[in-house]
Amino acid sequence: MLQTLDVNDQIHAQLAKAGVRLAATLPDDWLNGLIRRVARDDAMRHVPVGREAEAIAICAGAFFGGVRSAAIIGNTGLLTCTGEMATLCMRHAIPVFCIVSERGSVDDHMVYQEVQGRRTIPLLQAYDFPYRVIASADEIETIPDAYEWHRLQKRPFVLFLSKKLLGLKRS
Amino acid sequence: MKTIEAMKVLAAHRCDAVVVCALGTAANEWWRVTRSEDSFYMHGAMGFAASFALGLAVTVPDTPVWVLNSDGSLSMNLGCLLTEAGQRPKNLKHFVIDNQCYQTVSNMPMVNQNGADYTAIARGAGISRTLSIDNASELDGKMPEINAAPGPYFIRLRVDAEPEYQRPPPFSYEGPEMKYRFGRAMEKKLGINVFGPTGF
Repeated sequence: MLQTLDVNDQIHAQLAKAGVRLAATLPDDWLNGLIRRVARDDAMRHVPVGREAEAIAICAGAFFGGVRSAAIIGNTGLLTCTGEMATLCMRHAIPVFCIVSERGSVDDHMVYQEVQGRRTIPLLQAYDFPYRVIASADEIETIPDAYEWHRLQKRPFVLFLSKKLLGLKRS
Repeated sequence: MKTIEAMKVLAAHRCDAVVVCALGTAANEWWRVTRSEDSFYMHGAMGFAASFALGLAVTVPDTPVWVLNSDGSLSMNLGCLLTEAGQRPKNLKHFVIDNQCYQTVSNMPMVNQNGADYTAIARGAGISRTLSIDNASELDGKMPEINAAPGPYFIRLRVDAEPEYQRPPPFSYEGPEMKYRFGRAMEKKLGINVFGPTGF
């Protein structure tokens, strides 16, 4: 069973501070606490999706409605939607802010996350999609800066949340 | 009916709707008929025009938003119907241009050609208002009701395949220019800020 600290409240608060008003989400073992927190915020439109690429396209559409958004998805899901990130967001220079679990890290010993841990960063680098890892709570306050920076980059941006940050442990 | 006939009828009933077009036939023919820059023409991410339109629709709830989808694109992202039904956007109308083939790739047949009922799929996903239309005069007659009804509303338009279809997209602009023309058009049309004070 997984347990989380109040870090999700802090992340949610920084997203709100960055002006995020829409979150498109697909459940992920590590991110469900954040997704539940977002879902409780009446000021943040919650759009649960059935496939991660929907979240990417929904956020791209929200951009043209003048609304700041975030896609909250798992690492495996990120791998499934890099085609849409490239042919929609990179092709048209549309920024999309993705919050992704850093699965397959050295402290993640789930056997089916091993490939994600080895190949996700090289894949993002191949596309030239910028990314940042939030590894500890004192870095959460950098989220608004990261959000502004991704707008300037005009392409998909991935903010990884580490296992340590999320306070996940086995009981 | 011909796709261009359907597009002309839709254009005549468009009013203030913002339009998102799936790549291929839907985008190409809407551009040919309207030349409108307050429309977004997908040039990639096949299947996800409907998701893009949903993201736009929920952020501008007082503006009618149409997605001109296609049978091929819908087949790549049937799950969009579940998400659309879950969000219940009153301002979203979902048209599907159904020519039963992948027209811009040499008219190759659609998966399960002539064997699928897209309106039944939409209803099964939870979209209660659905309609299937086969000819331009019927579409013309139904459009006032379609415009007046709350969304989400799913309308399948059965059109003829065009055996000599021209494959290259007819647009005079693409890529980042598509973003800026559409974004600036949204700012002007809706009085919103898509871009920040320094342009990004």
